[in-house]
Amino acid sequence: MNADLRVQGLKDSSETMDKAKEIVNMALAQKRSLLEPEAKALINSVGIPIPSSGAARDEDEAVNIAESISYPVVLKVISPQVIHKTDFGGVKIGARNKDEVKRDFSDIIENIRRKVPDAEVIGILVEKMAFQSTEVIIGGIRDLQFGPAIMFGLGGIFTEILKDISFRLAPITKKEALGMMEELKGYPLIEGYRGSKPLDRESLSDTMVKVSKLMEEIKDIQEVDLNPVFLYPEGLTVVDARIILKV
Amino acid sequence: MLDLSGFFNPESIAIIGASEKPGKLSGIIIQNLLGACYRGNLYPVNPSYKEVFGIRCFPSVNDIPTNIDLAVIAIPAPNVPGVLKGCGDKKIGSVIIISSGFRETGEEGERLEKKVKDISNELGIRIVGPNCMGVYSPASCLDTFFIPSERMERPGPGPVSILSQSGSFAVTFLDILAYEGMGVSKVVNYGNRIDIGESELLRYLADDNGTKVVAMYIESIENGKEFIEAASYCSLRKSVVAFKAGKREAGASAARSHTGAMAGRYEIYKAAFRKAGVVEAETYGELLDACKILSFQKPSRGKRVLIVTDGGGIGVAIADLCGDHGLDIPDLHYEIKERLSKKLPSYYSLRNPVDLTGSATDDEYGIVLREALSGDHYDLAIVTALWGPPALTDRLIDVIAGAEEVTGKPLLICSIGGRFTMSRKGLFEKKGLPVFPSPERAVKAASLLVKRGMINT
Repeated sequence: MNADLRVQGLKDSSETMDKAKEIVNMALAQKRSLLEPEAKALINSVGIPIPSSGAARDEDEAVNIAESISYPVVLKVISPQVIHKTDFGGVKIGARNKDEVKRDFSDIIENIRRKVPDAEVIGILVEKMAFQSTEVIIGGIRDLQFGPAIMFGLGGIFTEILKDISFRLAPITKKEALGMMEELKGYPLIEGYRGSKPLDRESLSDTMVKVSKLMEEIKDIQEVDLNPVFLYPEGLTVVDARIILKV
Repeated sequence: MLDLSGFFNPESIAIIGASEKPGKLSGIIIQNLLGACYRGNLYPVNPSYKEVFGIRCFPSVNDIPTNIDLAVIAIPAPNVPGVLKGCGDKKIGSVIIISSGFRETGEEGERLEKKVKDISNELGIRIVGPNCMGVYSPASCLDTFFIPSERMERPGPGPVSILSQSGSFAVTFLDILAYEGMGVSKVVNYGNRIDIGESELLRYLADDNGTKVVAMYIESIENGKEFIEAASYCSLRKSVVAFKAGKREAGASAARSHTGAMAGRYEIYKAAFRKAGVVEAETYGELLDACKILSFQKPSRGKRVLIVTDGGGIGVAIADLCGDHGLDIPDLHYEIKERLSKKLPSYYSLRNPVDLTGSATDDEYGIVLREALSGDHYDLAIVTALWGPPALTDRLIDVIAGAEEVTGKPLLICSIGGRFTMSRKGLFEKKGLPVFPSPERAVKAASLLVKRGMINT
């Protein structure tokens, strides 16, 4: 696994938040929440790994990006009106060559045109497909009474059906982040079970602390949803990110 | 220290709306105060009467010739603002408004409540209520709960203080505590909470010598940051336990994200309790048991439990539950085993649980507890005292209490049974050993002691 997917602890200076604040302010000026590429750029600016990607306006541009980041790639619609992208056929996974990229590009455009005719399509995100691994969710929410809170859970049914999740009020320490993992019934999936490798708790806890810090430093962020995050024995990648602003 | 002495140690009380008429709340309050040991001066106020229960009744607070520390208002809501102004003129600093008919009834009531709040702010009057039971403090014989004493028993003085948003909760909880033989320090039901609420009371109780445990019934908290600060301050000094009602309340967020959809208010409250060092009781019964264990015993320094039993089955049941609650039950160290094997019959089971079988004697409990609980192998003990074994006598209670004292570790009794067993409960508790009547409750209580011990570390 690539060493560059590992997460370093947050440097204790506010300058690391400057880029993140800039991205938020730009969106706020347009009275909207962050688009996926913006949300990913924001978390990447504080050192949280994301897949390589680029935004394409047409099929040729999509192919160029795909060739430069190497196949297979994922294509996703970029549109402020399409929040649940998969529900409207806005995501295509696993294109392995030029023709598949072109096909997926036009399919997505067609799907959105048909299912969400009023949606403004800003472009298509072409992203390197991340290696499948254990999925986790890291979330942040701002409570009216208690301020920012951080959520952690394992992906898919663990969160949605079994509600195996943990919460802490921000700011959280690294120790608290580790406690949030250990509290889950599904913790053995992270710790390693039946000979599977233990996953990178260091990177994960550092990422959770960073989300806590973002929620604290940038009051305009209402909700953060890193879902799913692929967690590896070394490092992690945020596959989808949503950041909702107070607008 | 915050000065709330007007509410807890008033030397004079005016009861506004005093009446002898059967069923009148004010009448019950006066009767309760007269029946209790209250030694301060009591001044009924009501323009319709010259005398109430044989005490002189005044037309208004301003007709009372002396200073008044506390006014208790029990009149129809629309008359409250006017009467409150009178209290201001009389320089009464503390007022409990029992009356209902405010925010809880709708818009009109909400306007009335706002008016009351504005008057109290303007005149500098501190308020408990409205729509509440007020205060119960046996040390100062103060009792503004309008429930007749035959319907709700009053606990004597003791280490538990109670802060409750709900009146019915406070009433039933007090009644049960009294029935259980437990005592209380300060009890406040603040109802609609227009002024004094849980955060200020937590700060007050943090420095209250009579309080060891603060039990809270919470539906909602108005200022989260203030609560966390106050509860953190209090939990450094006292054990704070909270029961949160209204667990199904949906999240406040528009919930456009996954996290938003998963975060109900209850999850946030749980996180807030954790941050503030508050032990959560998940059920009503758990809150009761938490009050008991935390007032009887000091917090546990770790989670290693020694189980000593004279009934194998109950011992195993307790061991199972310890696992479910994240408590460890390490086996006896071989040196302890060796020492015990020289002192006990060979057919006793020298593991954890230690099973003394139906042949158990009083002294054998003492031998096991002193050997195993001393040193650094265990943090606390659950001792099953089933009264079946014929050799056991009431001296068992002294033997266990003695072992507890020598080892300095928290210890609780799981004693299960009917009339005879229950008749022995009080004897244990007189010696400072809390008794729980089922494996479930005993292990849960132990786990609360461990949780409390983990806070602030």
